[in-house]
Amino acid sequence: MEKLLLRNIGVTDSHTLAVYQSRGGYQSWEKVVRNMKPAELIEEVKASGLRGRGGAGFPTGMKWSFVPKDSPKPKYLVCNADESEPGTFKDRLLIEQDPHAILEGTLIAAYGIQSHTAFIYIRGELVAGAKILERTVEEACRAGYIGKNIFGSGYDLDVIVHRGAGAYICGEETALLSSLEGGRGWPKVKPPFPATHGLFGCPTVVNNVETLAALPWIIERGAAAYAAMGTEKSKGTKLFSVSGHITRPGVYELEMGYPFKKFLEEDCGGVANGRKLKGVIPGGGSMPVLRPDELEKVNLDYESVQAAGSMLGSGGVIVMDDTTCMVRAASNIARFYAHESCGQCSPCREGCHWMEKIFHRIENGEGQASDLDLILNISGNIMGNTICPFGDAAAMPAAAFIRKFRAEFEAHIAEKRCTVRTQ
Amino acid sequence: MDPVKITIDGKEVTTTKGKTVIQAAAEAGVAIPHYCYHSKLSIAGNCRMCLVEIEKMPKLQIACNTQVAEGMGVLTQSPKVLAVRKAVLEFLLINHPVDCPICDQAGECQLQNYYMEHNREASRFEVGKQHDRKKTIFGPNVIFDGERCIKCTRCVRFCQEITKTDELAVINRGDHSTIALFDDSVLDNPLSANVVDICPVGALTDRDFRFKVRVWYLQKTPSVCPGCSTGCNISVETYQNRIARFKPRINEAVNSHWICDEGRYCFHELTGGERLTTPLIRQEGGLVPATWENALQAVLAGLRSAKAAAGIMTGRSTNEEAFLFAKLMKKFTPGSPLEVCYQERELTETQKILMSPDRSPNFRGARDMGVGTDGGYDRLRQKLLAGDFSAGYIVGEDLLGSNGAADRLRSALQKLAFLVVQDIRLSETAKLAHVVLPATHFGEKDGTYTNRKGRVQKLNAAVIAPEGALQDWQIFLRLLDLAGEKLSYSTPSQIFQALAGEVALYRGISYATIGDQGIQIGGGGVEQS
Repeated sequence: MEKLLLRNIGVTDSHTLAVYQSRGGYQSWEKVVRNMKPAELIEEVKASGLRGRGGAGFPTGMKWSFVPKDSPKPKYLVCNADESEPGTFKDRLLIEQDPHAILEGTLIAAYGIQSHTAFIYIRGELVAGAKILERTVEEACRAGYIGKNIFGSGYDLDVIVHRGAGAYICGEETALLSSLEGGRGWPKVKPPFPATHGLFGCPTVVNNVETLAALPWIIERGAAAYAAMGTEKSKGTKLFSVSGHITRPGVYELEMGYPFKKFLEEDCGGVANGRKLKGVIPGGGSMPVLRPDELEKVNLDYESVQAAGSMLGSGGVIVMDDTTCMVRAASNIARFYAHESCGQCSPCREGCHWMEKIFHRIENGEGQASDLDLILNISGNIMGNTICPFGDAAAMPAAAFIRKFRAEFEAHIAEKRCTVRTQ
Repeated sequence: MDPVKITIDGKEVTTTKGKTVIQAAAEAGVAIPHYCYHSKLSIAGNCRMCLVEIEKMPKLQIACNTQVAEGMGVLTQSPKVLAVRKAVLEFLLINHPVDCPICDQAGECQLQNYYMEHNREASRFEVGKQHDRKKTIFGPNVIFDGERCIKCTRCVRFCQEITKTDELAVINRGDHSTIALFDDSVLDNPLSANVVDICPVGALTDRDFRFKVRVWYLQKTPSVCPGCSTGCNISVETYQNRIARFKPRINEAVNSHWICDEGRYCFHELTGGERLTTPLIRQEGGLVPATWENALQAVLAGLRSAKAAAGIMTGRSTNEEAFLFAKLMKKFTPGSPLEVCYQERELTETQKILMSPDRSPNFRGARDMGVGTDGGYDRLRQKLLAGDFSAGYIVGEDLLGSNGAADRLRSALQKLAFLVVQDIRLSETAKLAHVVLPATHFGEKDGTYTNRKGRVQKLNAAVIAPEGALQDWQIFLRLLDLAGEKLSYSTPSQIFQALAGEVALYRGISYATIGDQGIQIGGGGVEQS
């Protein structure tokens, strides 16, 4: 398969403007500014079928089209580079090795909604990435891709790289905007939605790094070429970050709809050290774990993974072999969400810590038989009842681990110790 | 206002476009439980207590942030809604100390109330509560208990949106989230104690009221704040015939939901100290107890023989009292100047939200009644200092206690041939009097105040005056009676009826129709509504 997103990865000095230009970089940008009206661009992106790669999978062109065209307020485009989902490291690769593709995508998106100020909000811990992006912006500025009267078109655009301060929740788009405004990284109550009331109350679109990085290719080759790949509803290609007990971990680009099992066994070389697969999380830490028997017919596209009871999410694939204690894995994930809950709304603030404390107790051999149903009940009480999707992100994996590995949890409780790692 | 038809629990309700479900439901008499929502603050949507089912929407929606739409079906009692209320209450209590026996909020706590209504089950939480700061002083009037806090952020929003003073902030994350003073600030803005009123739980309590009395023993009397001429509506809350606290009463034409701290605590100053319970008459250099009969005869004699008498009345007197006082002085010493004690001070922008520059709640009403004949209190005081009068009648104000030029005023008062002081305490001014008449304070009397903007509002007696003291209006009536003026009225409502007949501005208003929210008088009323 031809690589779209990873086409420049591995090329020497791929992060520099010179190399990026030598490989056709910024031609899409020039084409957009010189030849396309914003409405045409939005239609092109809609036609491509591109969906948000941050996890939610919302159609990108449609998201742009919600921005009011007649608003007297400034409009903002924000590139969400706050990649923090456990098991996800695809955006980081692009940031470090193909930053100009992200920037070019950001510029195209900004033009699409006629924004004159774009932000790249990068996770605070990605210090190297932030430096690279700053340099990238500087280079593009000097080359005239950013600034006043770009390509003599009269269109102005400024890009600002902003570093986050270390909270997972700021990857949620409204929390990101709160943080970017200088406030506490708290998600905002919706409605209103960012498309009309986003950054500083102005129309705003937030797009993920990977989403934006796909745009130059789509413009270059046309929406039809992109839509020709993938499945009926999941078009194009997607990046997968594979980690855990796997022979060849790393970032992979796959055409949507690629068979999951084949991917793990052939592309990634199977479970490490020839061990047996016990479970795999397909879309980052917040998505329900799948058992090997659930993988049989799963393809890597939004609909197929959802049909199997999980979600494609960020494409963070975490592989666990048969030496993994699922109680410990669940406890680990629960601890992460308890630590990262912003504390704004009651069910998440209280429920995440409650679940974590119960998982911790089970892991330490102090669990009770009733704990499993209690966690399922708590997770059910969080699900769907919170301000932002974080509550679901904490509740889903907790419930999935118990539902799918209940016997192991019960044994752990009954024996008051781990029954897997001591075999 | 476009009408919108929705159904709430199957019942059709007509409301208006732009309303939220929680507002429309409240109008229709359906109370949707909530913590963070407050009609005067921005929507926070964080407590999740008001989640309701909206037909055709897959997830429950918060009623506080959902706008009504034509044909919308709202379910507030569906199994899903009842279950989530139960769940939210359980969440809110898992780290709460459940220390109701020693919590000041007990009895008026929304955790208690809603838990009783919507949950009633024992907690399933047994894995160790998260602890937080206890007894944390936020400011001169407010103390914080972090463990009782449900992080609804009403207090934070109040300081951001109402006072714009930004003292409070949420710090930390997850179940470590807590409310704290921002940087080095102190919660000492002029409206600070309102955060106690809007705190739905026992996290913020009033340092003045705390531990004084269980709230269920309080008797509540609707009244008007005597602190200044804004005339904020209050509830005077008493225990064993003492005022325990003021709470704001909602009146959108006056004070909305708030009162200022100065007003909230002014009852200490206005009611404290040793009360006079018998009239006093000066004899051979000293004040000695006398009967009311003798004291009133002495007043009659003293005022009648005066060539020029000054009448000074406190701005805390009611309209009814001022009306009678004006009548009385006209009868005794026609042409005598009468004034309401009045002093202004500079206010900060935050103070101006509610406070008026004076501390005379009824200066406007008293002037309407005819107390105010000589071009203002300052001018009268200058004349007094200049020795223009031979007698004085001072009602309810300690002129020496509240005056910068106390020494000059003292000697001026000492030079008067006759001075009668009517007050609740033996004040510095009263000590100079020839006759002292024990009277009553704002909390002991019925009557009306007219605020700065011309709104007539009712004062209701919340406590019983001590034996031996008389209501100010009773004193005036008895003096008028002694002077030969037989009046047919003998209660504040009857006096009001009489004054409404004589004072043009008050024509058409009856005591009964003033109600708990007051009535705006015409002619110069500058009410913004």
